[in-house]
Amino acid sequence: MSERVILLVEDNPSDEELTLRALKKSNILNRVVVMRDGAEALDYLFRRGAHASRPADEVPQVVLLDLKLPKVDGLEVLRAIRADERTKLLPVVVLTSSIQEQDVVSSYGLGANSYVRKPVDFTQFVEAVRQLGLYWLVINQPLPT
Amino acid sequence: MPSEVERLRRGIRLLSDAIVAFSEAGTDHHRVLDTIAQSVATVVGDTCLVLVRAPEGDDLITGAIYDQDPALVSELRQLFANRLGAEGRLAREVMLTGEPRLTPRIDLQAVKPVISEPMFALFEKIGLRGSLTVAMRVRGEAVGVLNVLRHRDARQPLDELDRELLQDLANHAGLAIANARLTDRLRESDAIRAAKEQADRASRFLDAMIEHIPDMVFVKDADRLAFTRFNRAGEALLGVSRTDLIGKTDYDLFPPDEAQFFQAKDRETLNNKQLVEIAEEPIQTASGPRWLHTKKVPILDEEGTPLYLLGISHDITDRKRADAEILRAKEQAERANKELEAFSYSVAHDLRAPLRGIDGFSQALLEEYADKLDAVGRRYLDRVRDSAQRMAILIDDLLNLSKVTRADMSLRTVDLSALAATSVASLQRLDPDRAVTVVIEPGLSVRADARMLALALDNLFANAWKFTSKTPDARIELFAVEREGQRAFAVRDNGAGFDMQYQNKLFGVFQRLHSEAEFPGTGIGLVTVARIIHRHGGQVAAEGAVGGGATFTFTLGTEA
Repeated sequence: MSERVILLVEDNPSDEELTLRALKKSNILNRVVVMRDGAEALDYLFRRGAHASRPADEVPQVVLLDLKLPKVDGLEVLRAIRADERTKLLPVVVLTSSIQEQDVVSSYGLGANSYVRKPVDFTQFVEAVRQLGLYWLVINQPLPT
Repeated sequence: MPSEVERLRRGIRLLSDAIVAFSEAGTDHHRVLDTIAQSVATVVGDTCLVLVRAPEGDDLITGAIYDQDPALVSELRQLFANRLGAEGRLAREVMLTGEPRLTPRIDLQAVKPVISEPMFALFEKIGLRGSLTVAMRVRGEAVGVLNVLRHRDARQPLDELDRELLQDLANHAGLAIANARLTDRLRESDAIRAAKEQADRASRFLDAMIEHIPDMVFVKDADRLAFTRFNRAGEALLGVSRTDLIGKTDYDLFPPDEAQFFQAKDRETLNNKQLVEIAEEPIQTASGPRWLHTKKVPILDEEGTPLYLLGISHDITDRKRADAEILRAKEQAERANKELEAFSYSVAHDLRAPLRGIDGFSQALLEEYADKLDAVGRRYLDRVRDSAQRMAILIDDLLNLSKVTRADMSLRTVDLSALAATSVASLQRLDPDRAVTVVIEPGLSVRADARMLALALDNLFANAWKFTSKTPDARIELFAVEREGQRAFAVRDNGAGFDMQYQNKLFGVFQRLHSEAEFPGTGIGLVTVARIIHRHGGQVAAEGAVGGGATFTFTLGTEA
């Protein structure tokens, strides 16, 4: 059986640490793979460049995708994921700071499965991550591999 | 029978009377002719026809007819209504030769073949007995003839004495007619002169009008397209006096490409024989390049051949400059707006991330190092978290405010009651323990931008929710009212209220009427409400009393 990893695409170290902490506090014990820019995330997903040797059966259960990212931004990453046969059905949750209308509209337009704003209040943040993890890793029935 | 001497004496008397009558008839042509006919009929008798020479040619026209019997006069008038033509052959001969023709005894049967049937019938009816015709001549020129018809039994046949008297009368009559004609001609030339003067005045008026039209007016001949006319505004525009313009063509005055363009439009106007409009036309003038709005019209002769080209040009340089400036300002505003949008975007993303760090790690400290902190330390960390969260709210509020200022409006029919219910539901969800009686008038439908109106209601209800937090039996209502004949909507609460003297501060950015400890807030909510209402063209006002609740009333200018 393949490993159910979570792919976190996040460039802000504070946010990364807080997200990991929130996952841990929510008792989500899946391994979290962190990619710190959009290009790296795509390399990982498509097993190329530095990630060419990623085990083929290590498929993310869900991608937590920030929008403001260095090199390739989150919307471009999303577009590339949806454009490729291998990843077009991958669950992608946009997890970002803004609820700027244009971001929400573009994200859903490009096929995001969910759009969650990171609350400033850490208590709320933990709650949001907990619900996300519960939904995507437990409740949601994934596509058979 | 009167003696020859008696007849002569009477004749001379009548003749002198007639001459006096001629001179008294004055210069009225018709009156002169009538006087002659009557005088002759009196002197020689019985009927007199004054036949005058037509203005051109040798034809004779009936000038006047007199007989003591008006019925006969009118019958004769009908017969002699037209030019005499062939029937006037004898009379014309008399006129041209000057030789009188005396027929003392007429044989009607003998003349029957040379006169018309009605004329013969009339002559027969009156019993025409004799005829005498003499020429009227003035300085050797034939003026017409006098014709006397004798038909009454009592009179003796026409004779030499009658002829002499008639000839004398004819000489005077000719003179009188010539004088009257001359006067007529003089009068005619007076009328012509007056008409000409009037035409001159009209022409001068038109000239003055064209001269003072504040747009350039010019005329070119259709053949060479050389300028034949130019007004003052045209001189001023081009900076060239008209003496240097008249007779010149566009090629003498403007750069070749401009001249070519002008003349192409001229030819188009003249060939199509209809107005050509050039909305924006560049032109080189003595004071630099300018822009004209020109209309060109062909002026055609009666056959439709183009004679002239009339042009009218309005200088639109200033307007074009103003337009360009407006465009520039608009582009600048759009650029600024884009920058502001980018700025907002960046604020939305980048300003919140550090706050999340501050809050999150403070919380981590509280959780992981609780044993190393005393109560004061923990309180400080709580304060840090409060501040970070407050700042996050502030950022959101400011972004909302900036959004409602910039966003495009999309008006449609909106269920105000439903939006209000949604606002209240989300307040209740965040604050499940509060018990507030909310009464929303159902079915309030308005024309508005749905998202903006929802934001306004969110703010108004959040406000009411907040300020009733210390009120037992808290109550919030939304209902329609009428304000100055317009439908308005009121959000009323029975909360803390406010002092009316600070009313004007309610809608100012960052203005707050309560301390943070009393009621937390950013002071941006009501500004956002006001901006949304104003963008709809409506008005918002607040009423309240300390401890007596507050009522916010707004109108929407977008209501049909």
